[in-house]
Amino acid sequence: MNKMTAMIAWIAVAIVGAFSFASLALGRGESVSAVWLVTAALCVYFIAYRFYSKYIAERVLGLDDTRPTPAVRHNDGMDYVPTNKWVLYGHHFAAIAGAGPLVGPVLAAQMGYLPGTLWILAGVVVAGAVQDFIVLFASVRRDGKSLGEMIKMELGPVPGSLALVGVLAIMIIILAVLSLIVVKALTGSPWGLFTIAATIPIALAMGVYMRIIRPGRVGEASLFGVVLLLASIVFGRNVAADAALGPLFTLTGTQLAWALILYGAIAASLPVWLMLAPRDYLSTFLKIGTVCALAVGIYIVAPPLAMPQTTRFIDGSGPVFSGSLFPFLFITIACGAVSGFHSLISSGTTPKMVERESHMRFIGFGGMLAESFVAIMALSAACVLDPGIYFAMNAPAAVIGTTAANAAQVISGWGFTITPDMINQTAVDIGENSILSRAGGAPTLAVGMAQILAKAVGGKSMEAFWYHFAILFEALFILTAVDAGTRVGRFMIQDMLGHVYRPLGNTDYLPANVLATVLCVGAWGYFLYQGVVDPLGGINTLWQLFGVGNQMLAGIALLLCTSMLVKMKRERYIWVTVVPTAWLLITTLTAGIQKIFHSDPAIGFVALARKFSTAAAQGTVLPPAKSIAEMQRVAFNNYLDAVVCAVFVLLVLAMCWYTIAICRRALRQASPTVHEIPPLPAHGAPA
Amino acid sequence: MKDVLDAMMRDPTPVAHSASGGNRLRTWARTMRQAWTQMVGIPDYDRYLAHHAAHHPEEPVLSRGEFFAQAIDRRYSRSGPRCC
Repeated sequence: MNKMTAMIAWIAVAIVGAFSFASLALGRGESVSAVWLVTAALCVYFIAYRFYSKYIAERVLGLDDTRPTPAVRHNDGMDYVPTNKWVLYGHHFAAIAGAGPLVGPVLAAQMGYLPGTLWILAGVVVAGAVQDFIVLFASVRRDGKSLGEMIKMELGPVPGSLALVGVLAIMIIILAVLSLIVVKALTGSPWGLFTIAATIPIALAMGVYMRIIRPGRVGEASLFGVVLLLASIVFGRNVAADAALGPLFTLTGTQLAWALILYGAIAASLPVWLMLAPRDYLSTFLKIGTVCALAVGIYIVAPPLAMPQTTRFIDGSGPVFSGSLFPFLFITIACGAVSGFHSLISSGTTPKMVERESHMRFIGFGGMLAESFVAIMALSAACVLDPGIYFAMNAPAAVIGTTAANAAQVISGWGFTITPDMINQTAVDIGENSILSRAGGAPTLAVGMAQILAKAVGGKSMEAFWYHFAILFEALFILTAVDAGTRVGRFMIQDMLGHVYRPLGNTDYLPANVLATVLCVGAWGYFLYQGVVDPLGGINTLWQLFGVGNQMLAGIALLLCTSMLVKMKRERYIWVTVVPTAWLLITTLTAGIQKIFHSDPAIGFVALARKFSTAAAQGTVLPPAKSIAEMQRVAFNNYLDAVVCAVFVLLVLAMCWYTIAICRRALRQASPTVHEIPPLPAHGAPA
Repeated sequence: MKDVLDAMMRDPTPVAHSASGGNRLRTWARTMRQAWTQMVGIPDYDRYLAHHAAHHPEEPVLSRGEFFAQAIDRRYSRSGPRCC
């Protein structure tokens, strides 16, 4: 393409983008189509990728294709394999995209579609994609080292250990909150529970097929698995309607919580090929397929956004989560804008497979743009719903009650007119008994997706199918994450225990394995159970705790990137990482401190704990608690949450201090002090 | 879309393609299969064979089953956590 045509094309993209934004921001009174939202996002992604990522690749990092990557250097045909950049892009995307980008935007929709959209787009370009890209770069230049190892190398052993503690804490919280989402989606839903339960035998069958019957035939097994999965959704309706089977699959929240805890302990103890791997393939398949289907669906159906641009809840009084737009929007939408977890993936298997340094721009920066796109679609799906339905699904029972009539009255009082019939009809359409207080994002997104996909394929009669398909789609990769996350958590716990008493660190020693598994499952299981019985909904608390932790991890990763740029003597460009770091530190420290100390019990952990413990001491029972014992538990749990939050805050402050000290030392040096693999030609590698 | 597929066809390391050549549909199906297995994190067995033949011909070669079993164990044994 010659320069002139290219320039005209980019100007056209910019104009389309600007026009889409104008439609979103200026469309007053009448509803705006979700197509504008998605189009505006795509234009931002294209422009950011073309210009900003190029600037980072060429100027800031100086990607150099003559430097052999770890995959070329250590090519062993197994772990280190130079991989086609499109394939690696898919692999990287499948690894970074989970339930996070689906949940955060749905919760944030209570403030209207505009705040969430703006943060997702600004966040991904300035912070998220930059973090993923630069961490990937750092790892590739260090032989595929992990984030923890790199922090140890560049910042020192103490920050390295601190970061590991932080990562473990975030893991525990994320496992709890993800499980909680599954519990909220499946409580009293026999159809949903049956389909999710069916994935277990399907995965086992696939595992045996790939291991014993036709070894290594991943593609065949995946295809069979997907067919069986779709069959289980169709069949689930009959199971739910069956007089004997229906009640068997109708569980309460606490029963589901125990089931998940048990599941986590067993699943993480099975060999990986039996269940984890096959289920991972199914979930990758569904993930990529569903994301594409939803994008196409939005363009075909062009649903209008029913949610206003902004709602009155930007003042912090929202029922879905409490706290004002600043800082809580920025921790509620983590994945999709910027997610610290990605720094672990970008320094995991991906750097060992990068063929050329220049590919990292597409894989690191571009991969994150795709995840952000998922978040935008989730936001669109939530905002396509009638706001009354949205609040009925996401507000806790303590606020809207447990009957459709009561909920309709409360929600209409907020200015979102809704009738009990509309609430009941929505439940009937999706084949469920009730839609009230199903917080956590998954069910809301599923209803939104079901309405969009049913308009594209199948009509009203297919809505129930699409709803359960969407629930399955989310639950599948949440359960995979629970399984894989418990394994990683166990590994980290064993590593730490090994420092205390050496035999406990031996991963081949069964009692040590069991102990670490129990500790890991027990830890996230505790938070899960606390969330399930929490009368205020649980998601309310846990998701924000996760958001604070996750964004702080992103801050730590970006601090590492900053110190690395300084040590490379590229301090001219450090604004690329300093700007997002500063923003993350400002928002997360504010949010973290408010979560601990805010005087409003709806926001501050300590205030709520104190309110309940004082009342308990006086012998009064505050609703929604039902007994003094319950009151004391609420108080204790909130103190515990405050401690976890404080750990995150202190951790990030310590990392900040170490980074500044290291950077000041590096600035005094005349030459680079970074610990990179020197650019020697690879020996024995194909030219 | 076409250049995506073209890019997928161009393997970074030469793979010992079957000598018969096969028709385009077969090549396409194989490319898709290889792309899919690699996408879920399993390295390609054909490429392993090629690598093995080129670099360590004297050592015993893993069967497809053994290769797959090892690859899957390594992928999940201590690889990084899955995202949120």
